[in-house]
Amino acid sequence: MQDANLQRRLILNIPTAFLLLFFVLPLTALVVLSFWQTENYKIVHDWTLMNYTTLATEGAYITFFLRSLVMAVGVSVTLVALAWPIAYFIVRYGGRYRIIFSLLLVIPFLSGEVLRLIALQGMLGPAGLVNGALIRMGAAPLRMIMYSNAASFIAFIYLYLPLVVTTVYLSLINFDFRLAHAASACGANRFRIFTEVVWPLNLSGTIVGFMLAFIPTLSASLVPRFLGGPNGTLYGMSMAQQFGESGTWALGAAMGVVLFLFSAVALAILSYGVDLRRTGFTGLGRQ
Amino acid sequence: MFDTKLTRRSVLVAGATTALAMPFVRPSWAAPDTVRALMWEAYLLPDQITAFEEANKVKFVPSFFDGNSEAYNKLRVGGSKEFDLVQADGFWPQLYFREGLLRAVDYSKVPNASGYLPEFEAEAFKVLSDPKSGKKIGFPFCWGAYGITYDAGKVQPERTETLECMFSSDYSGMLSTSARFEENIALAALLVTDRLGSRDKPRPDGKPFNPYVLSDEELAEVEKLLIQQKSLLLTRYQDNPTLFQLLQSGAVVAATEFAQVFRQLLTAEAQGAAPVDFRHALKMKEGGLGWVDTWLVTSGVQDGAKFDLCNSFIDLMISPAVMKKIGEVAGCSTTVDLRSISNETERKLFLMDRSNEIADLFMFDQPSSPEKWERVWSNVQAA
Repeated sequence: MQDANLQRRLILNIPTAFLLLFFVLPLTALVVLSFWQTENYKIVHDWTLMNYTTLATEGAYITFFLRSLVMAVGVSVTLVALAWPIAYFIVRYGGRYRIIFSLLLVIPFLSGEVLRLIALQGMLGPAGLVNGALIRMGAAPLRMIMYSNAASFIAFIYLYLPLVVTTVYLSLINFDFRLAHAASACGANRFRIFTEVVWPLNLSGTIVGFMLAFIPTLSASLVPRFLGGPNGTLYGMSMAQQFGESGTWALGAAMGVVLFLFSAVALAILSYGVDLRRTGFTGLGRQ
Repeated sequence: MFDTKLTRRSVLVAGATTALAMPFVRPSWAAPDTVRALMWEAYLLPDQITAFEEANKVKFVPSFFDGNSEAYNKLRVGGSKEFDLVQADGFWPQLYFREGLLRAVDYSKVPNASGYLPEFEAEAFKVLSDPKSGKKIGFPFCWGAYGITYDAGKVQPERTETLECMFSSDYSGMLSTSARFEENIALAALLVTDRLGSRDKPRPDGKPFNPYVLSDEELAEVEKLLIQQKSLLLTRYQDNPTLFQLLQSGAVVAATEFAQVFRQLLTAEAQGAAPVDFRHALKMKEGGLGWVDTWLVTSGVQDGAKFDLCNSFIDLMISPAVMKKIGEVAGCSTTVDLRSISNETERKLFLMDRSNEIADLFMFDQPSSPEKWERVWSNVQAA
């Protein structure tokens, strides 16, 4: 009995301590720092709302945030649109190779993100695979994919597609396709079956996939740094600059708090549409 | 209260505790076992580091940074006790010393310091002396400028005599600058102050003109200029290999850089790459930015074995053979006189006979207000 209690306590306390130490404590430090100031690389411990006022009134930071928001929504919607047919194909026609197909999606994760970005930079750059081939064929290089927001967009799609496909796949694999057959038997056409049966019953998995792409895109710093070009600075990149070269940590902390709050609110709103039992993450299978 | 009985369990617990604690328990008289350096990655020569480690029976632990402000932040946050050696350039060592992050050094304990080029000898190179006490605060290492590397087949050499070249629509979409905000702003400031004629007017700090100390009016003009420049840039490169590719492929015809890529391009050409007439303009008519990378010893290092070890490391780093290798690997000019062990091509390539030009360049420095400069840079990025 005592052993069971100890076990239960350990199971609860270890992750709680971990979360407190590595999540709550740094976040609290970030919040406190965001109400201070930095001056000539020194922290001034005077309580102020100046950093938040700066973020709310200075056009530059609003622009970075809006750019990131548009990018994150665009990337996530595109990813869902791309992931659905891929996941659907694997689930419906993958047969005994389904598991192999789904494992193939994980392969890009075996290399680091920076490595994948550098490879992508080489591919989309002026002397890269795409433009190199175009130049060799006598055509003009595609300027829009070189150091631009379009290049960042392509990179985000490349980076997060496996995540979204896996999520939709997990949702679909738990979906009872007999429901679709029943709808068909009742005379519903394919479009109606999809919009009224398949899509709504897999909405949870789709929303999880959407969020898994949306949140990292909103805070991304590496992609715009490597591929964004002079007009591609996003919110996360600007935030990283505050902690790096410019040493304006307090403003960076305020940017972090704003990002955290926005992501939390977005997560909360979208969570209304999530029924975890249908996402495939519960291990409960079909209910 | 405590169970003092000697059981197998208590022996095992005591043994395990002692074993776990051993790495942290060292007698005070023990020799230092690590040398921790905060440095630029380009200067790390693995074979030399291994030789140093074996010769001194220590472990060399490097941490890397890109810009000076980043190193300064790391040093301040970690405290000077986190590192034994640190690198910095321009006027940054003086700032570190003022803030008590560095200790004074002794040139007599570093024999290879006698091999410096005349401009970098202890008496001549005042940038590495504390203005108040006159104490020497570090050792010069490599030097260079933030000049313009260009393809002379596409950009006429006389166009690079002025900074206007980097803001000319003639090269729209074929220009590139580094992503470092301090140098972008300071270089644009040279052009702006030249246009405004404000250099000879009273300066905000009451000292002679320094492109890192700007008035609000000058900063506003710099912001406008950098926003105009944005549409002309292909990208702001993050690293030298990217710029190398851009220049070699012809996508970029002129870029501001530390001459390292310029040398790598010439070396590549000598090794069989397609010949392109790449050149480097060190200083423009509006002036130029210069840097001298240094080795500094932090204030956490006390006299004794650790200080001797630091001196020994610096001595190795500035020895002619190692300096030559570093010049080749990192593509930079060295402060040590290597002319007797270099051929004519190397003398030209590494500007060995032009080191006196460093005196005409504005040294890298701390921005007068990092907050204002950050705002300018953000406005440029968002525009």
